[in-house]
Amino acid sequence: MGDDCSTSLRPYLQCVRSSLSAALAISNFASQTSERHNVPEIEAASSPELLLNPLVISRNSDERTFIEPSVNSVRVSLKVKQADEIEHILVHKFARFLTQRADAFLILRRKPVEGYDISFLITNFHTEAMLKHKIVDFVIEFMEEVDKEISEMKLFLNARARFVAESFLTPFD
Amino acid sequence: MLLLDYHNVLIHSLLTERFSGSTPVSIDQIVSDFDGVTFHLSTPESKTKILISIQVKCFRELVQYGAQQVLEREYGPYIVDPEPGYDFSVLIDLENLPAEQEAKDDLITRLALMKRNAMAAPFERAFDEFAKLSEEASRYTTESAPQGVKEGGEVMAIHYREEEAIYIKASHDRVTVIFSTVFREETDRIFGKVFLQEFVDARRRVLTLQNAPQVLFRNDPPLELAGVPGLQNVNDGTLSYVTFVLFPRHLTPHRRYENISHIQIFRDYFHYHIKASKAYIHTRMRKRTADFLQVLNRARPENEERERKTASGRTFRVQG
Amino acid sequence: MAQLNYRTINIDVLDPDASINFPMDTLLPATLPAATTSSAAAAVAGEVRQLLRGGDPAAALRHVLATAPLGGDERAKEVHLAAVTEVLQGIRQAEVSRVLEEVCAGADGGAERADCLMKYLYKGMASPVAGGAQSPRKSVSPQSTGFSQIQGRNLGEGGGGQQMSVLLSWHEKLVELVGTGSIVRVMTDRRTV
Repeated sequence: MGDDCSTSLRPYLQCVRSSLSAALAISNFASQTSERHNVPEIEAASSPELLLNPLVISRNSDERTFIEPSVNSVRVSLKVKQADEIEHILVHKFARFLTQRADAFLILRRKPVEGYDISFLITNFHTEAMLKHKIVDFVIEFMEEVDKEISEMKLFLNARARFVAESFLTPFD
Repeated sequence: MLLLDYHNVLIHSLLTERFSGSTPVSIDQIVSDFDGVTFHLSTPESKTKILISIQVKCFRELVQYGAQQVLEREYGPYIVDPEPGYDFSVLIDLENLPAEQEAKDDLITRLALMKRNAMAAPFERAFDEFAKLSEEASRYTTESAPQGVKEGGEVMAIHYREEEAIYIKASHDRVTVIFSTVFREETDRIFGKVFLQEFVDARRRVLTLQNAPQVLFRNDPPLELAGVPGLQNVNDGTLSYVTFVLFPRHLTPHRRYENISHIQIFRDYFHYHIKASKAYIHTRMRKRTADFLQVLNRARPENEERERKTASGRTFRVQG
Repeated sequence: MAQLNYRTINIDVLDPDASINFPMDTLLPATLPAATTSSAAAAVAGEVRQLLRGGDPAAALRHVLATAPLGGDERAKEVHLAAVTEVLQGIRQAEVSRVLEEVCAGADGGAERADCLMKYLYKGMASPVAGGAQSPRKSVSPQSTGFSQIQGRNLGEGGGGQQMSVLLSWHEKLVELVGTGSIVRVMTDRRTV
């Protein structure tokens, strides 16, 4: 990765960081449609006045973060860059791998929002049990690492393919 | 382990043990090999007589291309009538082995290579045909060559797996070997494409591989296969055709044994490395996921101090 | 109609008193400026362009933010967004901080303008990038170039990277100046731009 990319990545992550910090101003709110229920309003979507204006942060047309805030929950969806078929399949595999372990991740949504690769659902219960700025740190680090991981996996795959092909063809001569 | 062995390791080790003069025991073992090939090792009559049978899906086709002759050449005196349910059998009498250790080892290796030898028949035939055609062609100029010499021999098809086949065609200046291979899954298809692209590029990129066979791949049947019956033309990308072009330098008598063995394992080698890459990527993701969890756990505030002190300085545990 | 599955109907939608039918209009303040049209927005865009060309980027930004069509229709908002984007892109990187301080820090409604600018920054990032937004998916073409299969991921910027990086840098500077409160107001303010 060149310098060029890190200079355009930093403002993007910075923007996600400040937006997410703002969006995580959430508090307990019992459902007003069904008694004795307490659901993430962003998922229930049963009361339009409780949903706030969603925010989109894009780095370019391939990389986007979608923040949907509500009174007691925030949904954060990421679109990871996929320049070709290989990256697409790697992102897809990785996202599936993670969502299958969503239980351990607490804030990971089991299914990404339409048009995105991976989603988080953060409720007031999460922000009460965990440190808010650390949750933001996690999301940011996640974004950085996923990108890095996909790059590395792709490089590995190409390198291995190259080595394997050469090794097979060498004995012929 | 980068390259795969040509022989069947299980048969090899089993026979090495039996041949070493240990007390004979009765054997009844089914051994599997690549491409759905099954071996049956048994001692039906007495403990000293080992019957080795092989079952190959495409044995009928192989016989058509001269497998019987190849096998007779390799296993001549040991051949017996095929065991029911199998295609070819040999019977080894432990009391009647060659005396020298070297000859014994040679026999073991040959028996372990039974699958390779059965599959080698069409390749040998193609290599012979190439030799004949090139000799004929040398008598003509390019223009005046009769049709048969210019076009080369017929395409030999070996349907060695469900839906997958090897096609071999000899010409006067080359032997073309085409593998058709199926990818059931999207991931395999894309990984396969990356690998195949490297096979194609390796020859152009690496100086020392200039003399390696030329490799091509495509998703629709190559021109060489025009008119071959039973080709499905489903162009959804699941089917790939990998073409190896073997040049005269690969077909010389002293290279041919090695090269036939080597090209046979292409499919297994190729798929093996796709699987291995997937496994590696899986472990990577597992590791990375663990890292992510650690980062997330940092968001939880430290568990409160469980140990308290009384006024007098004694400590006690809070009952959870 | 006989096959209509009544279980799948969301009956709450049919009940005017249900919470899902909350009258969103009541959340808008009564002081909302009158609805503007796209032609009015286009006129503003013209004025702004003039100011920008006249070498007064701060005035241009001030004017374009003051005339935001909060009550306008979708079309007017689109046109106005284009005008704002033009202004933002027309201001040089080195001048951004100075212009921001001039426009958004003043006591005469500077905070209002800051919030308005923040709304536009998010709207700009949400709208599909003009000019070939959907870059066609490049696939690994078989047997074409060779040699180049191994490469980093981040060499080529996706579509619209340039425009987005302008917005992102404005966003960063604005947050530095006015804090995250402005972002919260973007989310909560029902007067969208």
